[in-house]
Amino acid sequence: MSYEYLIFAPIALSLFVYLPTRNLGGTKYVALALFIYMFTQTIELYKQLPAHGYMSLGKFLDVRAFDFVLTLQVDRLSVIMLLLTSVLLILVTLSSWSLAKKPAAYFSLLIFFSGAIFGVFTSTNFLWFFIFWELTLIPMLFLVGIWGAEGRVYAAIKFFLYTHAASMLILLAFFLIYKQTGTFDMTLVKEATLATPALIWWLMFVGFAVKMPLFPFHTWLPDAHVQAPAPISALLAGVLLKMGAYAMIRMVILLLPVQAEKYAWIFLVLGLLTLFFAGFMALYETHVKKMVAYSSISHMGLIAVAMGAMSYASLSAALFEMIGHALIISPLFLIAGFLHQKTHTWEMGDMGGVMQKAPYLSAIFVLAGLGALGLPGTMGFIGEIAILISAIEGFGAWMVVILIGSLISASYLVWTFRRVIYGEIGEKVANADLSMNKAEFFSLLIFATLIILFGVYPQPLFEAINQAFSLYFNTGATL
Amino acid sequence: MSAFTILFAFGVISFAIRSKLALKFSSLAALVAAGYLTLNAYPLPLNGFSLTAGVALFEVVLFIVLGAAVLNEDENVSVTQTIFIGAASVALLESATLLNFVISFEALSIVSFVLVANIKNATEASGAVKMFIAGSIATAFIVLGAAFYLFEGHPLNAPLQNVAAFGSVGLWMALTGLFYKLTIVPAHSWAADSYAQIKPSHAALLSGAAKTVAALAVFKTFSPFLLQNLELNAPILIGLSILTMTLGNFLALFSKKVSKILAYSSIAHAGYMLLAFVAVKSGYASTGLLYVAIAYVFTQSALFTLLGNLRKDASELTLEDLKGLGSKDKVTALIFTVQLFSLAGVPLLAGFISKAVLVYAVVDADLPIVALLTLLNSALSVAYYAWIVKHVYFDDATLAYDLKGLKAAPLLAQLVLLGGTIYFGVFAFGVFDVVL
Repeated sequence: MSYEYLIFAPIALSLFVYLPTRNLGGTKYVALALFIYMFTQTIELYKQLPAHGYMSLGKFLDVRAFDFVLTLQVDRLSVIMLLLTSVLLILVTLSSWSLAKKPAAYFSLLIFFSGAIFGVFTSTNFLWFFIFWELTLIPMLFLVGIWGAEGRVYAAIKFFLYTHAASMLILLAFFLIYKQTGTFDMTLVKEATLATPALIWWLMFVGFAVKMPLFPFHTWLPDAHVQAPAPISALLAGVLLKMGAYAMIRMVILLLPVQAEKYAWIFLVLGLLTLFFAGFMALYETHVKKMVAYSSISHMGLIAVAMGAMSYASLSAALFEMIGHALIISPLFLIAGFLHQKTHTWEMGDMGGVMQKAPYLSAIFVLAGLGALGLPGTMGFIGEIAILISAIEGFGAWMVVILIGSLISASYLVWTFRRVIYGEIGEKVANADLSMNKAEFFSLLIFATLIILFGVYPQPLFEAINQAFSLYFNTGATL
Repeated sequence: MSAFTILFAFGVISFAIRSKLALKFSSLAALVAAGYLTLNAYPLPLNGFSLTAGVALFEVVLFIVLGAAVLNEDENVSVTQTIFIGAASVALLESATLLNFVISFEALSIVSFVLVANIKNATEASGAVKMFIAGSIATAFIVLGAAFYLFEGHPLNAPLQNVAAFGSVGLWMALTGLFYKLTIVPAHSWAADSYAQIKPSHAALLSGAAKTVAALAVFKTFSPFLLQNLELNAPILIGLSILTMTLGNFLALFSKKVSKILAYSSIAHAGYMLLAFVAVKSGYASTGLLYVAIAYVFTQSALFTLLGNLRKDASELTLEDLKGLGSKDKVTALIFTVQLFSLAGVPLLAGFISKAVLVYAVVDADLPIVALLTLLNSALSVAYYAWIVKHVYFDDATLAYDLKGLKAAPLLAQLVLLGGTIYFGVFAFGVFDVVL
């Protein structure tokens, strides 16, 4: 079956759906239907996957002279990312259901984004991967720049320029690979055939570290997160950052394992710095969305530490945490944005007592927060404990320092609960109408369900994740 | 019969056509006929001219762009001049000897001077005079360089031959003149003023069509010389290329007038085109240059003509004037943005794959540092393109002038140019299969 339409149909549809629906309305229904369809197609893909390795989805737009061939291939890793992406797109659409400002343009851009991101996770030609990688920036630029908060323009431009500049390093790395191997097909490239593997590794590492983001390349993200509308913050954290982590695993680690092993300490150092730096920044924050943003960055540091351990178990743990992080941080962003929309303040000091006015909403916020700090029974616990174990195996017992990161998380999150959810009811909260649209609440409910479901029953997810890496590691060990 | 013959003949006949509509239709018919003859490989029927597949492809692209220019033009005299630009471009592109190259180059220059001499106000006069003076200086260098080459004993009516020191000086002298016209730093300053001050549709033809034609022709004619003295030539060309793109981008970044930004961007693109000369030993250099020329001629023509469509006194159009365009005139804003994105190198548009091939040529020529500097320059350029988009879409409307809106013919012209930008961004097949 041909799957290229899953990429190009949304890109084309985004324009064609905008024109008739901008006055009539109904773009959100088209978007929702499309994302549900993409989800079902991804499930189909998952069922068809071979036990190991790639499944070809075809070759298109073949230009042999420059190996400019749209080669679509998927394996467990990419299909897991596709599943995560399609679920998040559905939930983000539901979360944006009551959007009043230019809804046709907003949902059209989401549709465009869906095509580009599917391209990122299915293309195994470096050049086409890069094309889709860059294309994801365009809708994000407009989604942040038009629908964001007061400082949206600065944040959107900064995000666009920062990540685009980093992409130039990635492109140069791809060109060097092509020069040295004669192919852009990432499934055909072998590290041993590269003349300058270290240079290529560094170019790709820095390029992808910006997207993840890792300290000190993270400075674009707090602004983008804070200024973006809440559903787009969720998409940024849940999909865009994961794109960086996915590329880091796929290209920096699995494609260049020798260099990755050699520079594993870089992952460790930057991962720990990110974990602690962002954690302390979150602790210091009084701005509720900024706190969530730093919490998000801090967790990406944890994922980088797991990547650095460079083992079957650690990469599985990293992937589990990536999914967990997406599902946990998204509701935190959505609720923070909702509270700002209703109370017109970002300051946690001006909030308080939300539990009294919106108990269900508060319960989901607390649940997601507990997930973020790694409470047993939530996805966060499974991800963090798996990373801790694999990091100790990889780097030694001193890796228990990671627990300090968890302690910092616990500190800022519990303090946030105290200031926002519990305590005396604040004046702005008292005057606000905290009733939520049903579609938006439904999306939060799904997030909550998934956090608990994979927290108490992670086995199916781990089985899928383990298979994603079994081809690369000659081991029978599973988590 | 060749494309040149039909365009030149029609150009002469067109002086007799008074009806605007008849002139436009017959001009389009002449361009279609020229395209047909080119596709069927009919070169200029004189000694010293040849038609390669790469040149034929670019000529067809050029005729499409000139067709869009004809659709967009509102003055008969400009339509006629557009056709003459087409004829001179064909002659230049098909030149296979230094003599024909020099003559055709001057013919294109003269037609360009006549085009910008169609002056309506003092600003346009200033731009035209600067261009004329710059062109004259350049011509002096080119002719003197050719004389040096001849003096060393090489025939002018043959392709370039291997040269000794004196001939080398001569050819570098000619290249200096040509680089002057191609707006390579430090001979760039005339272009920013000229492109920004002359009528936007003329700027579109000169900075879009004529400049790319010149770049391709210079590469085609001089690449044997550059290859012969690569070790000596490469460092000079690298320096000029990096300097041109960097200065062009920085000057664009700090400009407030939109026409100036596009003019400086045009200078920066001259720096990118020079990369093909830098990477001349790579098999991808000519493909990259051809691709950049195709992408650039579509985008630059579209952007300058859109400026003219936006406001009559387009040279005065500032970034502030673009605020809110996205909500006031959605079609113009969308086309403007997509073409800007193409210039910026956004994927699925011609600007991306063209720059990618050109930068790869540099990597292929074992110059990764130059490639990195180019890519960083490209990222820098995104800053001012994004800044324009910010004004168009993210800022509230403060338009202090009446929007003209796109009428049927200019809209069709813009859609043709947009089609070219998208087609060559996605369906890249043809360009890789041909050589200049």
